Amino acid sequence: MNPLILKGIRENLRFKHLIAAGLFSLIVCSTVYLTAFLQGSEGKFSVNPETKEWVKGEDSPVNGARNAFTFLLALQGFYLMFLGTGRVASITAEERESGLLDYQRMTPMNPLSKIAGYIFGIPSREYYMFLFTLPFLGHAIIAGELPWGNIIHLYSVFFCSVILYHLTAHAVGLVVPKPRAASWVSRIVVLGLYVVLPGLGQAGISFLSFLTILPTYFGKILPVIQKEGDHKKGDFDYESQITDFWQDVPFFDFTISPTTFTFFMQGLLILALLVTGYRKWRNQALPALSKPSAFFIYSIFQFLLLGCLWTFFDRGEASGLIGQELSANEFYRKEERIMGLILVISIFFSLSVLFILCLINICCPNRHLYLKGIQRIAKFNLARIPRIADESSGLFLTLILAAITLFTYCLLISLALDSEAWELTSTFHSLSLIPAAILMLAVIYLQASRELWFNLGFWGFVGLLWITPLLASLVIGVGWGEENMSLILRLLAINPLSIIPMHWMYEHADIGNLPEEITQNLESAIWFGLLIAGVFASVLQARLFFLRKK
Amino acid sequence: MIQVQDLKIHYGDFVAVDNLSFSVKPGTVFGLIGPNGAGKTTTIKAIATLTEPTYGEIMLGETSVLHQPEQARRILGYMPDFPPVYDDLRVEEFCDLFAHAYGQSSIERKEKVEKALAQTELTTKRRELCKSLSRGMKQRALLAKTLVHDPSVMLLDEPGANLDPKARIDMRKLLRKLADQGKTILVSSHVLTELQDLCDEIGIMRNGKMVVSGSIEEITQRKKSARTLEVEIAGESSKLSEWVEQWPTLSELKHRDESKTQFDIIHSGDREEIPEILSQMVRHGIKVISFTTRKSKVEDLFLEIESGSTEFDQN
Repeated sequence: MNPLILKGIRENLRFKHLIAAGLFSLIVCSTVYLTAFLQGSEGKFSVNPETKEWVKGEDSPVNGARNAFTFLLALQGFYLMFLGTGRVASITAEERESGLLDYQRMTPMNPLSKIAGYIFGIPSREYYMFLFTLPFLGHAIIAGELPWGNIIHLYSVFFCSVILYHLTAHAVGLVVPKPRAASWVSRIVVLGLYVVLPGLGQAGISFLSFLTILPTYFGKILPVIQKEGDHKKGDFDYESQITDFWQDVPFFDFTISPTTFTFFMQGLLILALLVTGYRKWRNQALPALSKPSAFFIYSIFQFLLLGCLWTFFDRGEASGLIGQELSANEFYRKEERIMGLILVISIFFSLSVLFILCLINICCPNRHLYLKGIQRIAKFNLARIPRIADESSGLFLTLILAAITLFTYCLLISLALDSEAWELTSTFHSLSLIPAAILMLAVIYLQASRELWFNLGFWGFVGLLWITPLLASLVIGVGWGEENMSLILRLLAINPLSIIPMHWMYEHADIGNLPEEITQNLESAIWFGLLIAGVFASVLQARLFFLRKK
Repeated sequence: MIQVQDLKIHYGDFVAVDNLSFSVKPGTVFGLIGPNGAGKTTTIKAIATLTEPTYGEIMLGETSVLHQPEQARRILGYMPDFPPVYDDLRVEEFCDLFAHAYGQSSIERKEKVEKALAQTELTTKRRELCKSLSRGMKQRALLAKTLVHDPSVMLLDEPGANLDPKARIDMRKLLRKLADQGKTILVSSHVLTELQDLCDEIGIMRNGKMVVSGSIEEITQRKKSARTLEVEIAGESSKLSEWVEQWPTLSELKHRDESKTQFDIIHSGDREEIPEILSQMVRHGIKVISFTTRKSKVEDLFLEIESGSTEFDQN
């Protein structure tokens, strides 16, 4: 057995823990299950058409068990996904702070075994508590006549998600210094990554929805529960809308089952987190990702974005709420469809730039690391630091990431321009040049600022440059909006993420019937934004260059 | 066995270790001494593969710590300056965890854990939870954990810091025994008298640099500054004081410990001159009962370095 799993069991499952945790889980689980079962199995009241009196229907243990199943699943999720995740993060951070992690780092165990030891050993008590829910689960499946195939689908995804969350927590624990902070940060990261971000799936970027267990639950379990349930025809059937929505995932010109797609998505994330964990275990000082792995992960991210947005740009069809609401539908006017397109393009750019921002944060060397690189090349008589080394400047990687984004963007706008669904009036060049310029300039100044100032200075700079003008424009817009439209647009244009929708609105001013004045303001704001980005890019790069030369 | 060459460790603009070079022979105990912030712990952590140097090379025999950290870790045992332990593990489980992590079979583990607990006198405490141990006991548990995989190089950062005097003496004996068995031991300590008896060689660090290193005798010999001669005489002291005034390299005749017959005399000449001083003293009619050159202690050396003395020949 893995020594660290054995350690986790010894620490967390001594006799007193076995009794206390077992009793706790049994009491909570039986209460939840029985309450849900009894409530669900009660017959429903209905009006007898002949006597016009309210009559109670027959009690149904099948419905009771099905009702209890969902509550049981939530309880299992609470044990493993909430309690277990927090525990993995806090214990990892605690051991890192105290120096215990250094002992483990020094043992000759493979880093992957160490990761496995931590993510399965630390939450051993939560797994033990989970065991006590299994008899109830068995009852729910048999009494509720739930198909085993669907249950196996669901629990495969459930455990995949648990591993993903615990791995995320372990990675957070390796990075966040304070144990209590790590516990909460990990829960917030898990909520953000796996609950908030999947919300963007509703905006057509369906792959983000598959970071959670929900697609499989809605696609595989809810239809089964609902089918034998007591919904009546003619009622507003909210659940059937949800199940229809999760039946398959559009990806390029195919559709993929939600379970397969969830495995694919979560597998990728697990891979990325394992790379991070592996590097951190080998050497705490190493950046979380190497430059080649950052390139690889970002390429897959762009591939997924492209696959999910393909049908939307090609035929105007998409999954999620935005797909349902804004697809090329004969009932929607052209300008409304274009607004939908602009929204999706903006989300695409925002996600891409934020991802690049994270990778710049991870992969660009600080001065200490760069200096180390310089000393090493002197030692080994090399002409320059190899581009893929952690110590090398991040400019090359950053430009490649921006180029990949532009490639995806160009493919998408080519599809949209050729599509009859959108009837765009612009040309490929006019839609691609400004976004390409702003993206390149933005990543160049972000990389330079990261390598110049590193942590606090970098995030302060990004906050001041990107957030403050947005807030200022909001205040001016609310107070003195009409007379200061030009100023508001210029302030907005300082943030490169705002330039993309502004540029698209400018390009399609005729479709949106924008007034001439607004169109001119948009144009000048876009050029102003480009000028600002250009100035920052050249000044910061020059400063970095001279600093390094010195 | 341990060879540190041109080691530099920077934390941003702060230079923690600057061009440090020293070596420790197999089967010897090397003491690293220096004030707080001198770079001792950083150096030990770099050798232990826990801190990546900015520049330089660290070799453990034929193994490069920088380029073959996995191999280096197999032969290293590291004990930090404060004793973090797994609070909810028993002492024997704590040792077993590391024996297991170093790939030992269950039979081998049992034997090694037993031996390590016996060496550190923790056999009676084996079933106790680590959190119930005193700091000194935790330190011993940590040493047992360090010994359990039988490392050939041991790095001990302040090993005696939390121990009572008896435990300290026991640890000193144990380390000496381990060194005699062929283990290479690098130890940092603030308890300087302890190092004097334990270490074969010492290195004194200041501001990330090695100011002086070698055996205590070698360092003392290299010391250019004045030494103290301890003299006990019979009869009048006025004769001695007159004679000392005439000898150009002798000065500061002082009564030792309020005694009227025992004196300390400061000598600033060469060591070779000392026999001549004794014979001239006797020839001059001074009745010498005892005459010794006081050996500089590690504490004396350390205090001189600490005060910024530059009177040492650099290596």
